[in-house]
Amino acid sequence: MKILLVEDNERVSQFVVKGLQEAGHTMDHADNGRDGMFLAASEPYDVIIMDRMLPGEIDGLAIIEVLRKAGKRTPILILSALSEVDERIRGLRSGGDDYLTKPFAFGELLARLDALHRRAQGVNHEIPLTVGDLHMDPLTRKVTRGDRPILLQPREFKLLEYLMRHAGQVVTRTMLLENVWDYHFDPQTNVVDVHISKLRQKIDAEFERPLLRTVRNAGYTVTAAD
Amino acid sequence: MMRSSALSLALGYVALGITALVLFAAPLWYAWQVTIQDGRVEILQVDAQRLAEVFHRDGADGVRSFIDARVRMQIAGERILLLTDASLRPLSGNLPAWPSALPTTPGDYKIKIQLGERGMQTALMHVATLGSYNLLVGRDNSLFAPLQTRFWYGLTAALAVLSIAALLIGLITRRALMSRIHSIRQTVSAIIHGDLKHRLPTHLNDDELNTLSRTINGMLDQIEQLVHGVRNVSNSIAHDLRTPLAELRSRLEELALIRPPPEATYAEIDGAVADVDRVIRIFDALLRLAEIDAGLRRSGFVPLDAADLAANAVEFYAPAAELKNINLTFRSEGPLSVAGDPVLLAQALTNLIDNALKYAPQNGMIEVAVRKRADGAAEISVTDNGPGIADSEKCKVMGRFYRGDSSRGTPGVGLGLSLAQAVAKLHGSTIELSDHSPGLRVIFAIAVDSVVGADSMPRVVPSQQSAASAATLAAPLPFS
Repeated sequence: MKILLVEDNERVSQFVVKGLQEAGHTMDHADNGRDGMFLAASEPYDVIIMDRMLPGEIDGLAIIEVLRKAGKRTPILILSALSEVDERIRGLRSGGDDYLTKPFAFGELLARLDALHRRAQGVNHEIPLTVGDLHMDPLTRKVTRGDRPILLQPREFKLLEYLMRHAGQVVTRTMLLENVWDYHFDPQTNVVDVHISKLRQKIDAEFERPLLRTVRNAGYTVTAAD
Repeated sequence: MMRSSALSLALGYVALGITALVLFAAPLWYAWQVTIQDGRVEILQVDAQRLAEVFHRDGADGVRSFIDARVRMQIAGERILLLTDASLRPLSGNLPAWPSALPTTPGDYKIKIQLGERGMQTALMHVATLGSYNLLVGRDNSLFAPLQTRFWYGLTAALAVLSIAALLIGLITRRALMSRIHSIRQTVSAIIHGDLKHRLPTHLNDDELNTLSRTINGMLDQIEQLVHGVRNVSNSIAHDLRTPLAELRSRLEELALIRPPPEATYAEIDGAVADVDRVIRIFDALLRLAEIDAGLRRSGFVPLDAADLAANAVEFYAPAAELKNINLTFRSEGPLSVAGDPVLLAQALTNLIDNALKYAPQNGMIEVAVRKRADGAAEISVTDNGPGIADSEKCKVMGRFYRGDSSRGTPGVGLGLSLAQAVAKLHGSTIELSDHSPGLRVIFAIAVDSVVGADSMPRVVPSQQSAASAATLAAPLPFS
């Protein structure tokens, strides 16, 4: 992916740029609003990471608004220390696609960028999903592994569907909470882990090759790769 | 001297008293003067009339003897009588000569004459002509002088007494008022300097100042309670943040000192990141609480189904309950519409179930029930059969960061119940804790006024409101 980071804090920028480059992405970086606006408007990026409070007379939200008015559909992830719910809503209303508050875990950022990128490529809710020998048909709601049918509760189905739609990518617990349960808060204990282990029981337990894997310090991924 | 309202009030009263006294005395004085004047003139006319009658009956000699008799009989010279011939030579009477200033034509005159040593200052004269004789009748006014003097003295004395009394009362009131105000000022300055324990002095009587003092004392109680609360919270924050920060610090310092092999270093760094995450979690929870407390989130109110909300929360925790072999059940009477913030209500409810899961024993039970109360409020209750909470601790558990002794060592930051409490408050209600021997029942009510259809609900323009709620639901809210 070609990613633009608009962020004035040197340390955060360095950390993000280095981390994303190591993850195989091409990075551009602007440390003020004016340069950020110029780059975002002139270069084709897959995803833009935008800080909200920036030096250079233009703040992040203003840049997003201008880009959207100019017809740029590039997915934008807002990165901000403003954490209040109302601030998030403002950020998303101005045209941002996702909102991540500082301080953040790098794994969370990476997973969200992947999800944004994939979402931008368009999701077809009718096409059957396949990961290895695991098949899911969103229309008939049938799940099979190999030739064995797997019976799932509605929520388990939703959980697996989300994981399979992001196959090969890391999905964080927060992303699962938001997208599967619609819970936009931290429910203290890691109930998500329990759901995952239950799901794992159903899809992986009797098979040699596990598909649902835990990624340490980040989240989970469904993949057929080794 | 400081301008004192008591003194100005006293001076005002003095002025008012004087005005009242003058308004009372002036007409009296006028009426008195007029009455005396008229009476005197009448008497003199009667006298002159009688002398004229004597003259007509007995001639000049008769008048002379009449006057002589009168003068002789008269001890005090109140009456003035004088008969002269045409050339104003005195014939009879108690005046040695015709006063030079007095004309001989008949009429009323008011002139000053000197009579012997008595020094008669004022006299009222009536002059009549009897044939060629001149007659003068008069009256000595100096008799009335002491009366007048007494009147003036009396008036002056009354004014003086009034002024002095009013001034004294003013000064005494001022003194009393100043001493009370002084004590209030001392108390208040003690409070300003940070000692919130002081209270304004109050008395048994219920005057205005006392009522004010009581009101202010009530306010001070409230402030002290708040400050105390804030102090407690900041102490708890300090404690709960210090612990992971201390761990983090020692971890990093140890790394710097010992410089262990890379593998061990990486493990330590992972631990350090986990410590930081713990701090961030506490921090986020606190910010969220502050946000809810500030009441900012009422804008996020939308109509929602309380039963559905609770059913989802129960479903969310079902595998976790299964893991502990706890029988988690849900009971409802069907959909129940309320107005509320779906994100916050869900968070509060998951906190309550989370708590119940922590405290319910292995193989225990938890029941989540939704029902409509008689007063129309929606009631969500979470009941467990854990150890419960002693009555003495029920109040404390609502406090921020409070965790029962039995819960030390279980995960969580101790803000679950206070968050639920804050959310309940935002929805116009409170959390109730009741015994479910054994166990605890937490009752979370959503008040009538936030049930859909009530007009007290803050309304945004409909389209905007639904946009806001959609955005709330669509907004990813990462917390880890």
